[in-house]
This record gives sequence, C-alpha cells and structure tokens, in this order.
Amino acid sequence: MKNPLRKRLLRELVSEFGKYLVIFLFMAVTIGFVSGFLVAGDSMIQAYDESFEKYQIEDGHFEMQDELKSSLIEKLEDGNKAIYPLYYKDMDCTVEQEKTSGLTIRIYENRTDINKICVMEGCLPEKENEIGLDRMFADNNGLKVGDSIQIGEQNMTITGLVALSDYSALFSDNNDTMFDAVKFGVACVSSKEFRNLPDDNIHYTYAWRYDQRPENDKQESEWSDDFMELLAKQAMHSGLTIEDYLPQYGNQAIHFTGDDMGGDRQMMIVLLYIIIVIMAFVFSVTIKHTITKEAAVIGTLRASGYTKKELFVHYITMPVLVSLLAAIVGNILGYTAFKDVVAGMYYGSYSLPTYITIWNADAFILTTVYPLLIMIVTNGYVLIRRLQLSPLQFIRRDLTKNKKKKAIRLPHIKFFRRFRIRIILQNRSNYVTLFLGILFADVLMVFGLMMGPLIKDYQAIIINNMVAKYQYVLSAQVETENPDAEKYCLTGLSYHAQTRNEDVSVYGIVDHSRYFDEKMPDDGVMIADGIAQKYGVKKGDTIQLYEPYGNEVYSFEVKDIIYYPNGLAVFMSYDQYIRTFDPDTSYMENLLSDPALFLKQFASAKQSEYFTGYFSNEKLTDIDEKYISSCITEDDLTKLTRQMDVSMGSMFEMVKYFALVLAAMLIYLLTKVILEKNANSISMVKILGYENGEIASLYLMSTTFVVILSVIVGMFLAAAFMSVIWKAVMISFNGWISISIPVIVYPQLFLLMMAGYFAVALLQFRKIKKIPMEDALKNVE
Amino acid sequence: MKGEEVMFLQIQELKKSYGSGENKAEVLRGVSFGVERGEICVLLGPSGSGKSTLLNIIGGIDTCDSGYVAIDGEKTAEMSEKVLTRYRRKHLGYVFQMYNLIPNLNVKENIEVGAYLSEKPLDIDDLLKTLGLYEHRHKLPNQLSGGQQQRTSIGRAIVKNPDILLCDEPTGALDYNTSKEILKLIEDVNQKYGNTVIMVTHNDAIKNMADRVIKLRDGQIRRDFHNDVKIPAMELDW
Repeated sequence: MKNPLRKRLLRELVSEFGKYLVIFLFMAVTIGFVSGFLVAGDSMIQAYDESFEKYQIEDGHFEMQDELKSSLIEKLEDGNKAIYPLYYKDMDCTVEQEKTSGLTIRIYENRTDINKICVMEGCLPEKENEIGLDRMFADNNGLKVGDSIQIGEQNMTITGLVALSDYSALFSDNNDTMFDAVKFGVACVSSKEFRNLPDDNIHYTYAWRYDQRPENDKQESEWSDDFMELLAKQAMHSGLTIEDYLPQYGNQAIHFTGDDMGGDRQMMIVLLYIIIVIMAFVFSVTIKHTITKEAAVIGTLRASGYTKKELFVHYITMPVLVSLLAAIVGNILGYTAFKDVVAGMYYGSYSLPTYITIWNADAFILTTVYPLLIMIVTNGYVLIRRLQLSPLQFIRRDLTKNKKKKAIRLPHIKFFRRFRIRIILQNRSNYVTLFLGILFADVLMVFGLMMGPLIKDYQAIIINNMVAKYQYVLSAQVETENPDAEKYCLTGLSYHAQTRNEDVSVYGIVDHSRYFDEKMPDDGVMIADGIAQKYGVKKGDTIQLYEPYGNEVYSFEVKDIIYYPNGLAVFMSYDQYIRTFDPDTSYMENLLSDPALFLKQFASAKQSEYFTGYFSNEKLTDIDEKYISSCITEDDLTKLTRQMDVSMGSMFEMVKYFALVLAAMLIYLLTKVILEKNANSISMVKILGYENGEIASLYLMSTTFVVILSVIVGMFLAAAFMSVIWKAVMISFNGWISISIPVIVYPQLFLLMMAGYFAVALLQFRKIKKIPMEDALKNVE
Repeated sequence: MKGEEVMFLQIQELKKSYGSGENKAEVLRGVSFGVERGEICVLLGPSGSGKSTLLNIIGGIDTCDSGYVAIDGEKTAEMSEKVLTRYRRKHLGYVFQMYNLIPNLNVKENIEVGAYLSEKPLDIDDLLKTLGLYEHRHKLPNQLSGGQQQRTSIGRAIVKNPDILLCDEPTGALDYNTSKEILKLIEDVNQKYGNTVIMVTHNDAIKNMADRVIKLRDGQIRRDFHNDVKIPAMELDW
C-alpha cells in the first residue's frame, strides 16, 4: 500500500497554490536564466576555446616602426615558429545612414594563415571598394550587408559581417580598461584594396605562432620571454625600433572575452545559489510553521507507529518537488528562450564566432542537482531537528527547546506597541529570514541603481579631470609653434601585483606646468589615487615598477597620492624623469632615424630637450600626422563608460526589478506565514470587536516596521558589501574606477522597496479581512 | 492483582516523576497491574492522578523512571527508539481526546493512514460501515461533527487491527449521546476484533462497561478490580 499521506501533497499544492506558484516561478526563472547563461555561455566558451585552433589564433604579435626584411623574419622564426605580416591601417570612418562620425576602423587584409576570419553573414570582400565589417561594430552602428560606409575619403560596400578571431573583444589599445565596440571596429579588405588605402596610419605588425603548442602557461611565458629577447637583440642589431610586443596571453582583444565569460559564469552561479538558499530558508520557515500547525497530528502519527523517516520524507517532498519542477522547467527555458537571450547579450558585447548549442552536463548539475541538494540539506536539517521531539511533545504542542521559556518583560508602553513587539518576538526566525532576503535584494538593487549614475558621473569626472583637451603621444620629437602646447614625458612601466601585472603610465611633468596643478617633488613620485585604492599603496611606501620588455626595475618613494581618475599613473618631475630613464640614447637614435626630422631639429634655434608628447587645449595643426603616435581625447577616455553602458545598461535595469520582485515575494511569503500562524488570534480579536484596520495595524505594522528597518539597515550594509565586491571586480580589470554610490540611490531604493511592500501589504490586508470569526471557535485544539 | 501470573499486559512497580528538587512532582508512585488479552480496562481517576501518564508509558510515547511495562512478555523499556516505533506500529492503536485528523484527507483516507502501517489491515469499507461512516467517507474532517471525527480517529487506530487500543479520554470533548455512541463503538470493536482496550477516563460511569477497572489517585492505585457485571455502553448513564 502506498503511503496515503502522499494524497495530501496535491491538495496542499492546490490549497497553497499562490505560495508555491510564487516560489516555483521565481526559482524556475532564476534557474532558467542561469541555465541559459551556462548553456549559451559554455557553448560560446567552447566555440571560443576551439577558435584558437580552428582560426589559428596567433601566439603573439609585435609591431615594428618599419617593415621587416624577409631575412630578418627568418632569423626571428628561429626554426620553431612561423611569423606572418599582419599589417593594419587605422582609418576614420563615417556611417552616413546614422550620421555618425569619429569612428575608427582598423583594416586588415583578408587573412588565410593566421587569425582567420569567421564570416557570420554575407561573404568576404574580393573586389575593390568592398569591405567585410566586424559584426558587432556593424550592429552597434546600424549597418548591414549591402550598406555602404565611408572609410577615409572612400565609400565602401559591406559584403559581409565577420568576426576576426583575434578581436573577440574590440580593444583598440591593449592598455585600455575596456574595449570599445561603438567607436572602434575591425574590418578586412582584399589585398589590392589594402594597398590602395593610404599608408598614413599603417602599422607594421607581425603575428607569430609556434610550430608546437606550449605545454603550459609557464612554458608559454618562457617562450615569449625568449622570443622578446631575440627580437630586441635583432632589432638593436638592425637599428629597428620595436613599437609593441604582445604575447597572446597578455592580449585583451583575445583573452578578455574568455576571462569575462568565465567571470560571469561564476557570478551567475553564486547568484543562483544565494537565491536558492533564500528559497530554501523560505521553505524551511513554512515547514516550521506547518509542523507547528500539525504538531498534534504528527504526534498522533508518531504514536501510531509512523517513523521519523516517513514523516521526514512526507514533509520534505513538497520543497523537493517544487524545486525539481522549477529545475526542469527552468532548464527547458534555459535551453530555449533564455539561451537566446544570453547569447544575444554576449553577441551584444563580444565579436564572437558562431556557436553550436551543446548539451551541458555541468549546467544540469549546477542548476538542478545542487539546488535540489541545497533544498534538501537546508530543509532536511530543519526537519530532522524538529522531528527529534518525542510524540508526546508533539501531541502536547510542546515544540520549544526551553520548556520554561518565559515571556520577555516589556516596558510600560502603549498596548498596541507592546502587542507588535510580541509579534516580532514570536516571529523572530521569519523576520531574520526576511532581513537576510531584503539585505540580498538591497545588494542587487544598490548595484542596479548605482551603475547608471556611476557611469555617468565617472564619465563627467574623467572629462572634467582631463589634463588637457588633447594629449599628444609622439613617435618622434617634433616641435610645435603652438604656444598652448606643453611638453611632457611618458613611458609605460608595469606594476607587478600579486595576481597580475598592470601597465602604469609614468609621466615626467615640467616645472610650473600650466596643465598640472600639483607641484612635483624633487625626489620621489606622486601616484594616482587609483593605484593607492587598487593595490593599497600608501604615502611613504616605495613603489616598484618594471620595464615591460626589459629587465630594469625602478623603485620610487610615494610622496603623495593625488586625485587622478583618468588611469593608473605615476607622476614625477621632468628632471627626475630624465635622471631615472636616461633617454638620451634613444632620443638620438630616434632623431637620426629620420633625416628630415634631424635637419629640422638641427636648424632650430631652440635648445632641444627630451620629451614624448604635448598637453594642449588646442589641436596642434603644425605636426605631421606621421609623427603622432596617438592623440588622447575625450572619446578615448570615455571608452569604458560608453561600452559599459552599451553592454550592461539593460542588465542594470533587469537586476533592479529582479531585486524588487525578490523582496516583494519574500515579504509576501513570510507575512503569509505570520498571518496564518496568528489566524486564530486574529479571529479571536475580531470576536472581541477589533476592526480590520486595527487588526492590520497590529499584525501588519510589525512587518512594516521590520521591513523598513531591514531596508534601511540593509541598504547601508549593501553599500558596504558593494564596495568590497567592486574592489574585487575592479582588481581583474585594467585601470580603476572608484566606487561612488550616489546619495539619490538610497531614497530610490527605499521608495521602490516600499512600493513593493505596500502592494504585498494590500494583499495581506485582504487576507486579514477574509479570516472568519468562527475559526477561533472551531480550532480550539 | 494476580502478581505471579504473567498477563498479556504487565505493569510492574512503575514510577515516574517530573522536575527535580523542590519542584519534583511524583506522578506515578509504584503502579503495578496486569490486563488479559481482549479485556477492556478502564483507568479511572481525577485530573492529575497520573492516568494519562500511565497510558503514555504503556504506549511507549513516554518513559518511566523505574519499573517496567511488558506487553506479551516484551519489556518496552528495553527497546530502542526504532524498535519501539516498530512495536507501536505493529501492536498499538491510539485514540486521543482531540481527534488529530489530517485536515486535507477525507474520512476514508484518514483511516488509510492507519491501514498503511499494517501488513494485514482490516477491510476499510467494512470498517467504515462498522463505524457508521460509510456515507461520510468522502468528507473532510471539517465537514464532520465531533462524534464523527472521533469515530474516524477510532477507525484510524483500529484499522491496523492492533493488539491494544489505547484511548485517552475519547469522550472528553463530546456530548452525552455522542459519548455513548463512541463508547458503544469501542465496545463493538473490542467484541468484533478482540483487541485489548485500555481507556483513560475521569467519568466514573464508564467503569461499568469495562472488564477491569483501575482507580488511580495521586499516582497510586486505589482500587483494582474485575467487573463481574458489565453494562453495555448504550445503557450507561451519568
């Protein structure tokens, strides 16, 4: 005979349909989203991982100031690698349809041997005036196959939308904090077309790929170091300048996507488990309530010979069934609707090749097996503890551990207040669960609310704090007649943190600078507050910086920490810069490598001094473009915020409303339990003559008080948590953005939460009205 | 009391107290008696006399400080919790003053809850007829009168055909006529199925339907006698 208690389950489900539906929906959607995230993410990660072989992604690349001779390439190949020219030209681009200008397109030749191209739509360009454009750049700028686009002075037709395997994240510069898929894109053209394009901005880049795969990261790093040494030696020997050297493992354009998707994965799993734990607590609260309600029945069953195990199985079945059903439905949603949503999110951020959905056992375990285990363990623990009581204790409803528990004495305050305090004390465990749930919702909501303003504020801050409107980085020392220009020196060094190395800009600032208010110390440096916050460097510390492509190590005493939100930078006086880096040699080499420049300098009456660029509030028009390595403008500095807004803007909104629904659902479920627990008392006070409003003010006001307190305390704790989480996240990024939670976030959060609460309170008020007076008379057991 | 004879239910020098020191309350002070198989035994006494505690110890849901309860030669105190649960499952049926029915199971299903515990349960439909509940078998407990609910709870206890039916004030919450109906039912069940019935009550009149009467006061047996002239339940008056 099957256990007849099973027949209760369906009836329980029907009678408590609202409660189970809310829990089910919330779990199913969460599991569905996470499942979709894992399925799409893992499928895409697999496609991304496979792309390294499939598209023959480089093991690294370097850029030279000039083209290399084939004999030198052979020497560099050294019998263990193949080196391929991968020249590109950065071109200005205008999208006429959208009337957008100021875009930059990095144009490559069609590739056949290395960093191959995935054609997502259309075909590769074969003729002149044809271009294969990065799919995401096209999406972000409203372009499709067949549209035309203005590249430089030339109109080109888009023949295909492509993904360049070495640009899954569109970083124009590897030192950028964030890629920029709005204003920067990559493209390919036929060899003939490439030659036709002007050479002003040509970059002589070479990619290499080892004949054998490195066995591990260590070997890869060793090989790269060896190659860099060889390259430096050969370059010096041949009088060539290395502009850039970037092994694949340090290339953000290649690795950012994989790292970010991996990081998202962890975040989503943690989010899922927090929600499942909250749900498990909600179930455990309802189980406790059910056991209290059914204590006498349980006692009778136990006295009749029902074992603890049978009762355990009976009471745990519902949470397990609901979780199982939510997991099944969630997984179905995950593999269908949510998978596409998540894939859309990734395709909205990354220029990924096409992927095929793969069955994901890991996702199944993470979204089905573990949530079920969490549910069973949490509720199992509560049940086992409760069922330890003897049958007699159940029959006598003696369910508290401390038999002689005395009522807590309360001060002489108004009766209603004392009543409410009693309700809070009676429902302590419910309210603790509610507080924890609201705290979690607060964390999510603080995140959802703060990110929009934070991005905007940060954008405004960096624009306001630009040293100059234009910051020119020169490839050769060229004088300007513009009186607005001020020389500076800049070099890139590397800061070695515990987990990663990070590029730091080191500036040499002239005395009495017009662009820089701070007075530089004679000895020692000033560091940007970002370095201090990110790596805990303090005033008086010694900071060590490493030469990226050499063995030099520089130590500087930190004299001061200054507010500089525009990047991780170290500032020193011009004199100290010259003393430290001794740039005379490179300066002369540089000068001699360009006869025209040499003659110009020679003819100049001014005494020339070393510098690498200019700060200027005016555009410098008298410098030949070919000597300008880059010009940092507002657009460059706002890449990060722009991309964050594009990639994650909608997610912030989603998180905000998800948090609101979570909080409202928790309040609904836990208030429901409190009202059910007190149904008899409510019925009795109705008999005594209390009106519904008065009853609500007794039973709901206690919850209102706890909700208000939880939201307020929770939001400040959430802000503190968010600072910690923020730091942990920012550590993995290049650069630093200080967290600033705008004050407006707190009242916004409070009002949103209260709106959610009052919607629930209205429902509960209806419930109070429905409790009949007869209950108190009937349920006298 | 026939101390030397080994009876079906044997209670020997049972002592039980609650609390300690000055607060110590002796509830049972060395209670000994025996009941034959198939007898109806009424434990009679005022509130606080220890009769419910005695019943609970017999039923294995409470423990004694000393002495023992032996059912068919097996001492319950020597049983582990697991064995005791199995024992209750197989041999004991419980009826309480409050019916403790499962609210979302109907009458028949509530009885099935008891039947599930037995390898050879009684026929449920037959029992429902005996209980006078056949017409009400699809009703939920809240659709029943107090008497009908108590009948259901008796049905749940008896359906597994236990050796001993333990009834703790089964008529305590019922009116006169319904109480008599319930007592009649217990009597019928005893006659039809031959179960031993131990019934706790403070109603002196009920002793007349018993085979054996144990009167308790202050945790001690004041009288223990065999009722030679049994009166049918329906003829009881109080």
